[in-house]
Amino acid sequence: MTSPVAFDLPPELAIDTDIARRVIADFIRGQLRQAGFERTVLGLSGGIDSALVAYLTAEAIGPDRLLCVLMPYRTSSPASRSDAEEVVRRLGTASELVDISPMVDGYFGPDTDASPLRRGNFMARMRMSALYDRSVTWGGLVVGTGNKTESLIGYTTVFGDSACAFNPIGDLYKSQVRQLAAAMGVPGSIIAKAPSADLWPDQTDEGEGGFSYPELDRLLFWRIDKRRSIDEVVALGFERALVERVDKMVAGAEFKRQVPPIAKLGPRTAGVDYLYPRRRPGSARE
Amino acid sequence: MLALMQSIRVALAQLAPSLGELDRNLQRHHELLEQARAEKADLVVFPELGLTGYQLQDLAAEVSLRLDDPRLTALAAATTGLSAVVSFVEESADHRLFIAAALLEDGELVHVHRKLFLPTYGLFDERRFFAAGDLLRAVPSRLGVGLGIGICEDFWHLTVPQLLALDGAQILINVSSSPGRDLAATNEVGLGTATSWRTLMRTYAQLTTSFVVFCNRVGVDESISFWGGSEVIAPTGAALLSAPLYDEGLFSVDIAPADIRRERIGLPLLRDERPELQLRELARIIAERAGLAHDTTSEPGAEPGLDVAPGDRVPHPIGFRRGADRAADR
Repeated sequence: MTSPVAFDLPPELAIDTDIARRVIADFIRGQLRQAGFERTVLGLSGGIDSALVAYLTAEAIGPDRLLCVLMPYRTSSPASRSDAEEVVRRLGTASELVDISPMVDGYFGPDTDASPLRRGNFMARMRMSALYDRSVTWGGLVVGTGNKTESLIGYTTVFGDSACAFNPIGDLYKSQVRQLAAAMGVPGSIIAKAPSADLWPDQTDEGEGGFSYPELDRLLFWRIDKRRSIDEVVALGFERALVERVDKMVAGAEFKRQVPPIAKLGPRTAGVDYLYPRRRPGSARE
Repeated sequence: MLALMQSIRVALAQLAPSLGELDRNLQRHHELLEQARAEKADLVVFPELGLTGYQLQDLAAEVSLRLDDPRLTALAAATTGLSAVVSFVEESADHRLFIAAALLEDGELVHVHRKLFLPTYGLFDERRFFAAGDLLRAVPSRLGVGLGIGICEDFWHLTVPQLLALDGAQILINVSSSPGRDLAATNEVGLGTATSWRTLMRTYAQLTTSFVVFCNRVGVDESISFWGGSEVIAPTGAALLSAPLYDEGLFSVDIAPADIRRERIGLPLLRDERPELQLRELARIIAERAGLAHDTTSEPGAEPGLDVAPGDRVPHPIGFRRGADRAADR
């Protein structure tokens, strides 16, 4: 038994966690089988999303087939690192430490004017590069750890943290990530702490965005999953200004969720009228 | 006429097809037919596109089978002493691709149903890749009862189970590749899709006073997980077998055809159906939709075939022959 962790779960977002675990485990095994891989690799930050994916992957294929890569920058919170190490210890997975400070500092050099946005995006893409390199050395597919909330509002770095071979939790809102993490026994300290991109001290997603995750999740759920109009969600009690701001974020992030368009010239064009499953006979690695 | 069997053992092959791997899936079908025979099954039902997998897209044309394909003949040959429903991509002589389900009995292919309703909304895109069937027929069976076969979405249209029952089906068979979604904890079994299907299948069994056999696949194609939960429902609407969600396996139950008679005598809904009334009213509705008859529910002033009347004519710009128009109106 794990001690219950307090978190705010809007009732309409509550999921059947047993079914979610079953579906996700089959999904992970299916992705690996179809690609001809037996192992996976993921970036473990110490936050709840990557911790949950580590637990789900370990449950699906066993901890010995998962490599967790810790990729701190020199200003990253030490608490994040110890939380990540606790996940590795509890699951008994392989782990590696890749310090991205020399890569990031080597690029920006003395340019201290670089904005947090530029630095944050660059760090996310350095981590992606390291993960895909470890994908070769470890012989594993890169598992994505982004959740539905951040994907919808675009709180991701394109070709950075969103890059992966497949994503088991990309259709779960942050509140549902917390629910599932609690059900799986992810350490309570990880579930309880404020979500953060950890780009500067005391940064939190909710502080930066001006919302709380349960509120944002509920709004996105009604607007997108349940197809309610702006007027209808305002009638549910959401502030119109917040609704309009979030709508704009979602629309503005559409490009991050899709494969870039190709100019249509030939008779058959990938993604337009050449449509095959990602994995099909012959596509698995021998 | 064949004698009514005392008891029919129905086996549901809740399998996870490999996407696009026809040979591998064929072999799996042969294995499961053998297993069902060993378990003394009379009727073995495989899920929609069990021979090919579901999310085929452009692969559809690469795994299609003509009805005279030797691989299909070989599969039929494996049904001596058995009835089996198998599903695949059927290519017609004029090269249309259908999602098809065939009834194989005693070594022969005896009936083919082509999917009538191709969902092309939400996560579905079937109409892009497949042609829709045009035929719906109940079929007599070596089991001594009429069978009615539908494929997945076919049973999301009231007409299909009803027509099959009116046409003489006593066992309604639905083969599916139903993607699981909506994990809201408030759902009956934690999965919205399962709740919907269970409601529908029980309702059809009761309203048609027929057995309903529902075989849904498991496994994963791309993003989509198929939830299984195959069922056999009695003519009373009671579930006789509920296979587990997401587990692969062959699940069997014995059904008694005598239950059909008992239910239909006690609750003669099928006797009291009014197909001639339906035909009359449908003919009227079709004519109204086509603008060939007055639509009783349309707004006054609506053109034939349209149910909304145009709004008021836009008034002339201010000052433009206004006085003259008014004078003319009087």
